[in-house]
Amino acid sequence: MNTNEDQDLTLQVQNLLAEAIQVPLELVTPDLAFGDLPQWDSLGHMEVMLKLEEQYGVAIDADRIARLISIPEICRFLQEDHHGN
Amino acid sequence: METKPDLVLLQIEPRTPIPDFMLREIQSKLAYADEHIRAASVSPEGIQLQVEPGTSQPELIEKVQRIVESLAYGAIKPKVQILEDYMDRPVPSRLDPMPELIRMGEVSPESAGVFAFGPLVVRLMEFFESQFLALADSFQAAPYRFPTMIPASYLGRVNYFRAFPHSLTFATHLRSDLDVIDEFSQHAACEEGELQSPSKSFAAVKNLLSPAVCYHLYFALADKPLPQGQVIATAVGHCFRYEANNLASLERLWDFTMREVIFVGSKDFVLENRETARQRMRQTFERIGLAYRVESANDPFFIGEFRKQAAFQSAFQLKFEISARLPYKESTLAVGSYNYHQDFFGRNLNITLPDGSPAHTGCAAFGLERMAFAFLAQFGLDTSQWPAEVRQAVA
Repeated sequence: MNTNEDQDLTLQVQNLLAEAIQVPLELVTPDLAFGDLPQWDSLGHMEVMLKLEEQYGVAIDADRIARLISIPEICRFLQEDHHGN
Repeated sequence: METKPDLVLLQIEPRTPIPDFMLREIQSKLAYADEHIRAASVSPEGIQLQVEPGTSQPELIEKVQRIVESLAYGAIKPKVQILEDYMDRPVPSRLDPMPELIRMGEVSPESAGVFAFGPLVVRLMEFFESQFLALADSFQAAPYRFPTMIPASYLGRVNYFRAFPHSLTFATHLRSDLDVIDEFSQHAACEEGELQSPSKSFAAVKNLLSPAVCYHLYFALADKPLPQGQVIATAVGHCFRYEANNLASLERLWDFTMREVIFVGSKDFVLENRETARQRMRQTFERIGLAYRVESANDPFFIGEFRKQAAFQSAFQLKFEISARLPYKESTLAVGSYNYHQDFFGRNLNITLPDGSPAHTGCAAFGLERMAFAFLAQFGLDTSQWPAEVRQAVA
């Protein structure tokens, strides 16, 4: 995957996250992690997981919930595990 | 499920398939579906209810389906982690101690989930309390004493109403109005255990009966920096969690006693102390010879919150329950838990560490009645069969 695609995916995940935890996009930085914003708390995190499930068809299990705790981790997962690239 | 003669048996095929790991959770939640349900059983074959005659079945069935759908649809399988397993420790009893405890006057049922206790059970509870106090002392935990009631505003601030509305117990009083008080004093009466009085006689609810001990400490520490950046405290108190028709025996009480050792500080501080508490209690339970395991668990969130909250707790291994063996029914009973709340209370209550970040919290919590009950289920009522340490303490 080239750099432009990386950036596109990061932006997609930023948008998804902003929508899931209901914050303005400008607060969602590319390296944002669980707990960095008060809205990305336990319930917020589960909203993010459910959105990932809905938009990318990803099956969410306990291991993934514990692992996907930052935007870079989510992007890495979507690239490697989901897209199989 | 044995049907009582005055009840109607209802068989329901769930619209949403129920995964095996959700059977128990759904069965316990069905107690809140409708007041006319007297008992529920959920198995892979379907749902069986015992309901009062004359119940509107279509409405009741719809509520049951809603509960099943909410809990079962897209349910995330919990990650099961067993930290300790001593379930195969030999124990001398296989009898349900409850009938004999009632016959001896050691347990007197007052109402559903509300019991009085006699000297043997009280001394046994005091023995376990001494063990939990020893744990608290090993941390030099500061003693606190908290009220039985908790302000509604406190629980509102930590989203308790959303997470556990089904188990709340409200405290109220007559309105401060002479006519209301006069009317009540002249006409109040109990019929079939229910106080007959117009609901408008009662004041607005500003307090509830407390569902947990540690919440009081977090509110005592709220909106200021944490002293010395960390706190270890201990307290015992009555807790109240309404469990509808799940209230049974001493396994599920509405009014119970909980001893907690509470940790507030950095993430590492809380997690290390929670782990130390578990290791120390492992030695205590080994000395006593208790058959139990410590396994990951989740809190009994209500249906709207369950899927997300329970999955989060499971994924991050926030709660480990001490499940004691009940040999007479080949089942287990949660007698305590080791909990980590991350920075949930620190954030919501503005408890800050010296660097300004929200404090993390956790606790080791033990139910005294359940502890005593599980011991009696394993060791029986013949004290000569008890471990010497317990026998001597209770004698």
